[in-house]
Amino acid sequence: MLKVIIGFIAGIALLGIVGFNTAGSFMMVEHESPYGIEETAARIQANIQKMSHRGWTLSGLRDPSKAVANSGRNVPPVLLVEACSTDYSGVLLADDQARILSIMMPCTITIYKKEDGKTYIGTMNSGLMGRLFGKKVAAVMDEVAKDQAEFLKFDDSEPAPPLIRVKPGGGSAGGPEAAGC
Amino acid sequence: MFTKDQLIAPVLGIAIAMALLVATPAGATAPPAVAEPVAEKSKSTADHSKFEELDINFKSGPEVTQACLKCHTEAAKQIHKTKHWSWEYTNPVTGQKLGKKNVINNFCTSVTSNNSFCSACHIGYGWADDSFDFTSEANVDCIVCHDTTGNYKKLPGLSGHPNYETMEWPPHSGKFRPPTDLKKIAQNVGPTSRKTCGTCHFRGGGGDAVKHGDLDSSLENPGRYLDVHMDSEGLNFSCSRCHVTDEHEVSGSRYAVTAADEKGVLIPGSQDTRNPTTCVACHGNTPHPDKMAKLNDHTRKLACQTCHIPAYARSTLQTKMSWDWSTAGKLDEQGHRIQLKNSAGKVVYDSKKGNFTYDRYVVPEYQWFNGEVKFTLFGDKVSDDEVVKINDFQGDADDPDARIWPVRVFRGKQMYDKGLQTLAVMHTAGEDDAAFWGNYDWDKAMEWGMRAAGSEYSGELGFVSTEMSWPITHMVSPKEDALGCESCHTDGGRLAGIEGIYLPARDRMPLIDTIGFGLALLALIGVLIHGGIRVILAKREG
Amino acid sequence: MERIYIFKRFERFWHWTQALLIITMMITGFEIHGTYTNLGFETAVEVHTIAAWALITLWVFAIFWHFTTGEWKQYIPTTEKVEAMMRYYLTGIFTHAEHPFRQTTLHKHNPLQRLAYLFVKLMINPLIWASGFLYLFYTSWESWGLGWMNLEWIATAHVIGAFMMLIFFIAHIYLATTGHKPMSHIKAMITGWEEID
Repeated sequence: MLKVIIGFIAGIALLGIVGFNTAGSFMMVEHESPYGIEETAARIQANIQKMSHRGWTLSGLRDPSKAVANSGRNVPPVLLVEACSTDYSGVLLADDQARILSIMMPCTITIYKKEDGKTYIGTMNSGLMGRLFGKKVAAVMDEVAKDQAEFLKFDDSEPAPPLIRVKPGGGSAGGPEAAGC
Repeated sequence: MFTKDQLIAPVLGIAIAMALLVATPAGATAPPAVAEPVAEKSKSTADHSKFEELDINFKSGPEVTQACLKCHTEAAKQIHKTKHWSWEYTNPVTGQKLGKKNVINNFCTSVTSNNSFCSACHIGYGWADDSFDFTSEANVDCIVCHDTTGNYKKLPGLSGHPNYETMEWPPHSGKFRPPTDLKKIAQNVGPTSRKTCGTCHFRGGGGDAVKHGDLDSSLENPGRYLDVHMDSEGLNFSCSRCHVTDEHEVSGSRYAVTAADEKGVLIPGSQDTRNPTTCVACHGNTPHPDKMAKLNDHTRKLACQTCHIPAYARSTLQTKMSWDWSTAGKLDEQGHRIQLKNSAGKVVYDSKKGNFTYDRYVVPEYQWFNGEVKFTLFGDKVSDDEVVKINDFQGDADDPDARIWPVRVFRGKQMYDKGLQTLAVMHTAGEDDAAFWGNYDWDKAMEWGMRAAGSEYSGELGFVSTEMSWPITHMVSPKEDALGCESCHTDGGRLAGIEGIYLPARDRMPLIDTIGFGLALLALIGVLIHGGIRVILAKREG
Repeated sequence: MERIYIFKRFERFWHWTQALLIITMMITGFEIHGTYTNLGFETAVEVHTIAAWALITLWVFAIFWHFTTGEWKQYIPTTEKVEAMMRYYLTGIFTHAEHPFRQTTLHKHNPLQRLAYLFVKLMINPLIWASGFLYLFYTSWESWGLGWMNLEWIATAHVIGAFMMLIFFIAHIYLATTGHKPMSHIKAMITGWEEID
């Protein structure tokens, strides 16, 4: 009997370790992009703007690899497209329990290059993330996840739109484009 | 009587012209916003602004040169002997006649018949056609290399001259460049710099970052990340620090590359005539400290650049990756030139030139290279069944002079004369009715170009896929960013395509592995069965 | 039950250090070979090289010890009872047949062990040692007049040696459990005292 119990506990512990080590890959999703860095970011930005009826605005475009370059080192290029919708942020920010989720605002999509020369898109698994915070948050985050999926639908027949260099921080910094969060 | 419209037009024209005349001297149409560099105190023993010879309102470049030559009496004669002047080079090994004058590349393709544009990057004045006098000393352009003001610009179409009158630039842009202030420029001459060399070498192929991949305007003031030697807040090397120059002959040519130098450090003052423009000339062949001795072994097979330049075009500037001429010439419904841009603002289609692609932070391709390059020249047989190598890098694993080099391969599709089976010389630029960029007539442009190259166009235009290789040697990254072992010592790593060497972790004999692991597995199964039987028997016996 | 003192202190130290080094070298070696990624190629090479030098040093001492103590005679091969040993492992061991060999201080290895260890010492070790040494110094081949050699052959020879060692390792560990009791041989290798019937 003791053996069975020990085995059971060991099994659960093992599952825990495996789960803990792979949790990251559930929370983030990586997609390969058919375009280069700038074009991928620009197409995502254009898609975000098409979703303005759901409150979406661009709130920033950042290049964290530039900061590394300024410190004297090299990393492949990375662009962070930031967007926000007050339709969703409003609900979360109004709730004492959910307000801590503001840590994830604005919604960020990362576009980066790897050694293989290909461009990748990284997103948060918003739907899964939301489920960790109760029903109300889950409902909001499910909507965010749906919209996010729309951002990544590319129409190849459209010409490459120009990259919009939104100043981060939102508000007045980037004009009406950057009204974000 | 004149109609109202007929009257308005000339009046308006005069008014605009007057407005321009008034506005120009006041600087309303200032030159491109080049910030005046904070004048570092010159260490020279001569202050050129104090020379009477230069206190003249020069009317043209050659006048400035004549003033320079009053003191620097031998300078023009020295320039006359260089590739910068002749645009010619005969490879002593292959005997091929190279140089910009002879080579057909897969960018703008060829200089022949397009001199007045291409000579914007010639170290001289007036090379418009074959009548150019290569013996003229006054035609040498001293300023383009020795300017320190940043306001000297030779414009395409002016045969190597800067503008002496107010001129709309870029064409049809509505922006105007005031006349070049030659006096001020002449009084401020100084040593060459990354900026002066960069006026041509950062902008080859028709624009910034286009041609080399490892040379672009981000190197005017690079950070440490981009190039440890040129780091403007660190070592701050000028080009001539490595491209050691003697009698105006600049060392380190792409036409005759030193791919490997087993002799090691080139001590200053030695009578050795080796190429000083190599990593080895300063760092030697065993540059790594003892605790990294294994890396020193690698210099037998690898060029330094292979590990120390992990990627090129590492600033935010995109470099051109391909150029397809075959789509050129499409016009919009009004018959106007089309230009399409990508998300970063780079032109991806131009009626004049066809389609382009771009990239940045590009991982090079790798190949054996012994320094010898074979070009496909005008007249050499080509066909569209195969990719034509504009320049073929020689060498293999068994060649003691060969090393594995990082290479930028620029891919293109360009004009060739199908009848003559040769790469084409086409007349692209010019103010006449044949130049492709003004008329979009392939046959006329081909006829003119081929004739200028001494041939008769067969009338059959074709497009052939081409590859041009560029050794990657600039943009040396900090040592912390050099490639690690795993970049190559792995399956499918960076050197996956390199033949002729055994590379641990990439190479193995699959049969030996199968047999080895197979027998080990059998042994394991054998002992498990044997042990299992023992355990079962022991249990039965209780 | 009888206990005899079989393995002297140096011998035990030699055995376990060698075991540790060989396991380390198998783990890092197959990584260098490209079978898997574990420590990273650079670290694997460093560890493998250090372990190699440590093992060579150990072998120098061990060889010295074998000759000065006369223990080398333990490995003189014999055909006597080889067949009986084989029969024992195939059948006798399951039926509690009497072990055909009786360990003594002068004959501590059974005839099969003698053969196996001699094979390790005269075949596997020299193969690994020589090919590894050449592998390590392949840049010096030309100056040694060995320019005709080919790294692929040397690497392959080294890998063949590694596979032989791996197979020996598997068999050796298992046979260590075939003593009077499963742990008898192993205990003996730790304490020096072997329990025999």
